[in-house]
Amino acid sequence: MTGSLDNTSRTRHGDDNRAGVHNSIAPETGPGSPDLTPLYGLRVAITGGTSGLGLALVREMTRRGAKVAFVARTPHAVEQTACSERAHGIVGDMSVKADIHPIAIQIVGELGGVDVLINNASDLGPAPLALLGDTDCEDLERAVATNLIGPFRLTKALLGALTASAREGRGAVVVNISSDAAMNPYPRWGAYGASKAALHHLTRIWGEELSEDGVEFLSLDPGDMDTPLHALAVPDADVTTLKQPAQAAIEIAYAIAAALERRGVFGPGRTGQKAGAR
Amino acid sequence: MIAASRPIQRPPDAKLLVIDRFCRITHNRRSDFMQLLRRGDLIVANDAATMPASLQGKHLLTNQRIEVRLAGRHSLSAEDVLEFSAVVFGDGDFHVATEDRPAPPGISAGDRLALGPLSATVKRLLDHPRLLHLQFDGTPDEVWAGIARHGHPIQYSYVQEPLEMWDVWSPIAGPPVAFEPPSAGFALDWKSLAEMRTRGVRFATITHSAGISSTGDACLDRRLPLDEPYRIPESTAAAIALTKVSGGRVVAIGTTVVRALEHAAEPGGRIRSGEGVATQRLGLGSLLFVVDAILSGTHEPGTSHYDLLRAFTDDATLQRAGLELEARGYRTHEFGDSVLIERAESNV
Repeated sequence: MTGSLDNTSRTRHGDDNRAGVHNSIAPETGPGSPDLTPLYGLRVAITGGTSGLGLALVREMTRRGAKVAFVARTPHAVEQTACSERAHGIVGDMSVKADIHPIAIQIVGELGGVDVLINNASDLGPAPLALLGDTDCEDLERAVATNLIGPFRLTKALLGALTASAREGRGAVVVNISSDAAMNPYPRWGAYGASKAALHHLTRIWGEELSEDGVEFLSLDPGDMDTPLHALAVPDADVTTLKQPAQAAIEIAYAIAAALERRGVFGPGRTGQKAGAR
Repeated sequence: MIAASRPIQRPPDAKLLVIDRFCRITHNRRSDFMQLLRRGDLIVANDAATMPASLQGKHLLTNQRIEVRLAGRHSLSAEDVLEFSAVVFGDGDFHVATEDRPAPPGISAGDRLALGPLSATVKRLLDHPRLLHLQFDGTPDEVWAGIARHGHPIQYSYVQEPLEMWDVWSPIAGPPVAFEPPSAGFALDWKSLAEMRTRGVRFATITHSAGISSTGDACLDRRLPLDEPYRIPESTAAAIALTKVSGGRVVAIGTTVVRALEHAAEPGGRIRSGEGVATQRLGLGSLLFVVDAILSGTHEPGTSHYDLLRAFTDDATLQRAGLELEARGYRTHEFGDSVLIERAESNV
């Protein structure tokens, strides 16, 4: 697989364009939703932040006034995005165990804490897509390392910071980017689908275990998007039928704001004030 | 005492010596710590994560290899990472006991240090040839990246295998502002936090930039702990006030928590929330306004950690406890066994 694959959320090939069956993000909210200002001052970490959905999320969050740190593998791309989006850029590979704590140190160190973690970096598995019987074990291992174990490690390393945010009334949200391939057994999407299914279930269990500690866990399916990775997975897709990553990012921002509201973190004044008080 | 030489945060056989407020000593399993708490008690832990503060590099003027151990900072501000106080060693690493390490080359103000991807200037010496104030080149983000990728956890020769970041990252670790792990917190895991809720025990955190515990130089060791910035969230100050009003005990997890809370104490036992810099030394005769009990490691007499325990109970009791720790094979240092000391009635 090429080096660019980890930085974009993969989506399923697309003859079924409906929103995901699990925690599908609110499709009714469009650009310009007036109620997203609570993201002001939020400290947000995004993995896979230099292309596709990740880049759109970096843009959407900074536009909404959040303080953003993002992670990606390629130093040059990280530098460019950090500069253009005025965000903290961190070079690291979510599939590499030794990278996780340096990433966590930089996220919490540079933001001074973390309120929202978005595990977006994903690996497609074999490219082009392959039947499981034709899938190299190494491709499956890499998909699982990036899509499941990496998010687990980073979430675990950031749990102290996230629960501290919750105790201080800032709220704490972990978003794991899922896919309808996590729910449906699409042929040729085995490595991706199985790893995303595991991530989806992990998210639900985290949510059960940490609910009382004040951390909201969301497994969100952004739908089929027009990203470089979708093009790689489905070269002949009609892009006019695909969602723009910017639109998915708006919907995810909305879902985060709603989760914060459920936790009693309301309105622009409150979040902004608390963030500014640091 | 025997040094705990394996980097295991919660060994299943960890022991806990308890000194209650009547100076009675009992022995427990540390896994039973929760059972020693009462409904209405408040646990306060230090959520500082440990930064990889040991940086190998070179003193450029002499081209000699050095190890720099970051040891102090001005504040906890995320941007305030360009300047640190630091202890310098000559060539070598943790495999040699700090007191046996070769001295660094003669270092003067203005000298340049190359530390992996980082470079720094020595701003001045802090009244000792091995304690200096250094300033990194670059932006705060570049310094964070350099430390995160090049640094290693500070460690000592009694643990022979190289420490990884996850060895020193406590379950509740948050802001990476500690130079050595606030290791009393190793005793806590997510299961124990859930158990606290079940038992009606509250939990709160502070963030305290725990400094280094040993420099290998007797003269420098006497200056420990260095000044340490801390931050007390409003929610923690409120939880302490509530605990005091309702008659619960404030149980500090580690010496750093005691130092921060007592530094921020106002007359009457209220806590000032926000940031501060703990500059005081606690020991025999220190009045404790806030903390009712401390969970800590087992410490040897003569260390600043041991001195702090003298604020909780009398010397005769600590000596008695010391004999029992020896006799019963308690292990010491950051991966060792623990003591829980309630402030003696006579110290109230």
